[in-house]
Amino acid sequence: MDFAQAIIEATSDVFNTMVMLEAAPGMQATEKTTAFNDAISGILGFSGDIKGMLRINCPNQVAMAITGSLLGMEVEEIDDDVRDAIGEIANMIAGGLKIYFTRHNHIIELSIPTAIGGQSYTVHSLANAEWVAVPFTLAAGVMVVELQFVGLK
Amino acid sequence: MSWETHIADATVEIFSTMLMMEVSSQPPLTERIKSHQDSVTGMVGMAGLYKGMLAIHAPSQVAMTITGNFLGLEVDSVNDDVKDAMGELANMLAGSIKAKLSDNSKDIQLSIPSAVCGDSYSLDYQPQQGSSMVPFESAGGRFLVELQLEQQT
Repeated sequence: MDFAQAIIEATSDVFNTMVMLEAAPGMQATEKTTAFNDAISGILGFSGDIKGMLRINCPNQVAMAITGSLLGMEVEEIDDDVRDAIGEIANMIAGGLKIYFTRHNHIIELSIPTAIGGQSYTVHSLANAEWVAVPFTLAAGVMVVELQFVGLK
Repeated sequence: MSWETHIADATVEIFSTMLMMEVSSQPPLTERIKSHQDSVTGMVGMAGLYKGMLAIHAPSQVAMTITGNFLGLEVDSVNDDVKDAMGELANMLAGSIKAKLSDNSKDIQLSIPSAVCGDSYSLDYQPQQGSSMVPFESAGGRFLVELQLEQQT
């Protein structure tokens, strides 16, 4: 199964139909970025045939642009609307991944989204998990959608 | 059914059997703490009959003490060992709580654990059916265990 393709399909679908913003997928990332400054990450765990975590990492500017477009209003600061929106985007992308996986005969169940934000934080996952990340370029900056997973036979 | 009791029982049991640390549960917080300074958070998603997320939040100093006890070694910085240990602890706590919530182990499945750390970060999620945050006191200091759960109908 092509996980980068799964990320691109699920993310493009959400951005084309729900967020209404152009998000151009780039080349699959080769190096992990784990430290973030003035950013928000939407995180959602999933389990089943494949166990893992989906994470979308957005610089504050990108998070505000996404929220503004999703809600149809001006967003000038990182508030609860932005945190809710980034969690919800993670949820929607995970829903798209679930459909993609199901098409490939892998059933997963989703947990609930959490938004992590702050001036300075690092994220960390199991060392032995597989990792696939795809950057998306928006007018406001670059968002990275990452999947970490284990268990695929 | 009281989730706080499950959190308290699971945490006391795991700290005493796996980490050889005596911890005591305090009354659940009436308002959740969402911002964390100089801390480490271990988290894992839950999916299936219940959807949710379990997190353990500890100030860096306390996370180092916990890791030292867990691995039986001296820890003097928030390194990968600390992040792995906090993620694994979240995994064990969720595994224990999951067994208390349902007799059928297939009803709730866990995602892979993840850890977040940093000088200043916050965790947000949309209001779910149930959420509780229980503080614990240990010889190494105070830490928090948080459970968000949504029962599927």
